[in-house]
Amino acid sequence: MRDRLGSGAAETPAAREPEQVTRLRLVALVGNPNSGKTTLFNALTGLRQRVGNYPGVTVERKEGRMRLGEDETVLLDLPGTYSLTPSSPDEAITTDILLGKASHTPLPDAVICVVDAHHLERNLYLVSQIIEQDIPTVVALNMIDIARRHGMRIDVRALERELGVPVVPTVASRGEGVAALGAALVARGRIPQHGGVRFPEPVEREAGELAGMLEQVHHLKPPQARREAIALLAAEGSHLERMHHFALEVIAHVRREHEKLEFLGFDRRSVFVESRYAWIRTVCAHAVTRPATQGASRSDRLDAVLTHRTWGVVIFVLLMAFVFQAMFSWAQLPMEMIRRGFDALGGAVSASMPAGDLRDLIVHGGIAGVAAVVAFLPQILFLFLFLGFLEDTGYMARAAFIMGRVMSRVGLHGKSFIPLLSSFACAIPGIMATRTIDNGRDRLATMLVAPLVSCSARLPVYALMIAAVIPPLKVLGLVSLPGLTMLSMYMLGLVMALLMAWVFKKTLLRGGPPSFIIELPPYTIPSVRTTLLLMWERAWLFLKRAGTIILGASVLLWFLASYPKLDGGTPAERLDHSFVGMAGRLIEPAIRPLGFDWKIGIGLLTSLVQREVFVSTMATIYDVGSNGTGGALPEKLRAARNPATGAPAFTALTGICIMVYYVLAMQCFSTVAVMRRETGGWKWPLFQVAYMTALAYGVTFIVYRAGIALGMGG
Amino acid sequence: MSPDVHMTLIDAPIGTSVRIRHLTSRPEISTRLRELGFCENAIVRCVMKGYGNIICEVHNTRVGLDSGLARGIHVSVPG
Repeated sequence: MRDRLGSGAAETPAAREPEQVTRLRLVALVGNPNSGKTTLFNALTGLRQRVGNYPGVTVERKEGRMRLGEDETVLLDLPGTYSLTPSSPDEAITTDILLGKASHTPLPDAVICVVDAHHLERNLYLVSQIIEQDIPTVVALNMIDIARRHGMRIDVRALERELGVPVVPTVASRGEGVAALGAALVARGRIPQHGGVRFPEPVEREAGELAGMLEQVHHLKPPQARREAIALLAAEGSHLERMHHFALEVIAHVRREHEKLEFLGFDRRSVFVESRYAWIRTVCAHAVTRPATQGASRSDRLDAVLTHRTWGVVIFVLLMAFVFQAMFSWAQLPMEMIRRGFDALGGAVSASMPAGDLRDLIVHGGIAGVAAVVAFLPQILFLFLFLGFLEDTGYMARAAFIMGRVMSRVGLHGKSFIPLLSSFACAIPGIMATRTIDNGRDRLATMLVAPLVSCSARLPVYALMIAAVIPPLKVLGLVSLPGLTMLSMYMLGLVMALLMAWVFKKTLLRGGPPSFIIELPPYTIPSVRTTLLLMWERAWLFLKRAGTIILGASVLLWFLASYPKLDGGTPAERLDHSFVGMAGRLIEPAIRPLGFDWKIGIGLLTSLVQREVFVSTMATIYDVGSNGTGGALPEKLRAARNPATGAPAFTALTGICIMVYYVLAMQCFSTVAVMRRETGGWKWPLFQVAYMTALAYGVTFIVYRAGIALGMGG
Repeated sequence: MSPDVHMTLIDAPIGTSVRIRHLTSRPEISTRLRELGFCENAIVRCVMKGYGNIICEVHNTRVGLDSGLARGIHVSVPG
């Protein structure tokens, strides 16, 4: 790869004595959140892990392989952290691995510390701790192009002298500097350090004394002993009682040192951080030149509008309304084309095969079920196009800021809004994103309500119901009623999520007011590649599910809806006679109070696995029930009649009730599995399934009764 | 020269650079704030207030804080 960065990057490794050229088996990639670690990980490994312009995209360790000279090395992409004192579960993953405390991962042979060159001072805080760990380290001075654009000049050689480790300028998004980084890693040159973090003399003396004691009593190695000594000196006196892993004589010694430092007038809590920042100031004074005056930046001007007290909310609401409106109307044409494609396929298969069970299985079981779900692919792509855009521009963190007040009213903090917003795509990344929340109760409350936010799997259910029962009218001559209905369903999910969070924070998860700190990344122009990659990944995942679970469920359902066979009779009577008909009548009394018939009930049952199966179930049932005639699925639903009364089976009220039920019900095995993993047991996932089912049933019942009272039942 | 004016970060005027004097939040929160750059003697510029939060810039990085945290950061404005 060509290196255009110069500044001593390429020649750095060769210029020095190699420290030890043994094979590197494991290299860890660490850095502050949003410093571009994952982009660099992708550039080094050729993989395509997900990136975004907001802190906390990577919440678990990810592994890839990269070539270093002749050897292949495992590269670990670790969640971002601001320091080696973790304050949230994702940060703990990183610090445990770097401090050799992780049971599942050995201590890395080397570390690539990624720093955001534009925010060098803050990023150097972590560097100051990592270079004390005695692990070979190379610093990747990432996003150097942005720093230069802002007029910053960084003397790479001077920075290397100050840090005592090789520094390689990189622009990970363009692959620049990546080859030099690999070369620096192979050489692992040691550079004599110019200085290093020094605490005030009395503090250094006490730290040295304590470290010596730890080496003797607990047989720690010098860097580890010094790290533990500093942590013990900074620790709260009350926390010492809980540190049972230290010998009593060590704790007694620490208490004496605490008293001594306090007597000398040192604030133990701040002196270590302050000394590190004092060292950072010295480093930057030697290596960094900034322009004398800086006017209002682009981010300043954008923030003035986008986070404005009034305009911020207005823009946020308009943006969301635009997204759902566009998702509904722009996707119509490609959706129609997909439907026609599948119709043509079904027609071709029917024409080329003799009539019989096999043909029925393929056409009514396989093709009809899969087609009904795949037709919604364009809407899902639009949803991810917009979500990708929001993430990539840096707006996501601002949305969290704007929602801060609303979130604090319900007892959550603004940071919980990012997992909720991610849940619009899927509750699984939403639940994973809660790892950035430091307080356990807030994290659990956010996880419990995240699946109430409408994910992309609900989209086909909403879209089908809207197409079947909501007339395409314009409201106030502007907004289409179908688009508005869609937006209402998404809003209902969000409002219920906030309401339930409030309930949980007032009852089960009572706790003090949460604190909210979030880094706001600079605004960037979204990368077309990243957005397309996201859309492609989600499309592939969706199609894979359509080709496996949904196809399997459709085929099974076709079988259950066709057997036992009834000779003669109408298609509807044959369906009644089938296994599906029998099961449906069994569950009908339970769902009758919600205005649902047994066919809908079968949909509710089959879609317990995942929500889209409801659509394929309706497609199969109504295809079998009508013998494959009657046009597209929404028309079939509209034409369906209650055999007993002759009234339409799907009224506007039925459609709304189905949507409301799906907004609130769990109906997703994968989410339950992720909840079990993240909470470490079955208690919370089972509670979540129970409360969501009860909520879905209760609210749907109220909506149905209210609709009947308002005369919508007919 | 007039004396420095002392206040908490939530009261700092928008657009003004202030110096942090001390932090009074809970110890673990103060540690986190310090590590993020809100340490004693650091210069902070308040960029925006609203929605119960405050946006400020410290060490060239923009950070959003809730007002409770901002009340725990005591600052001085050069007089």
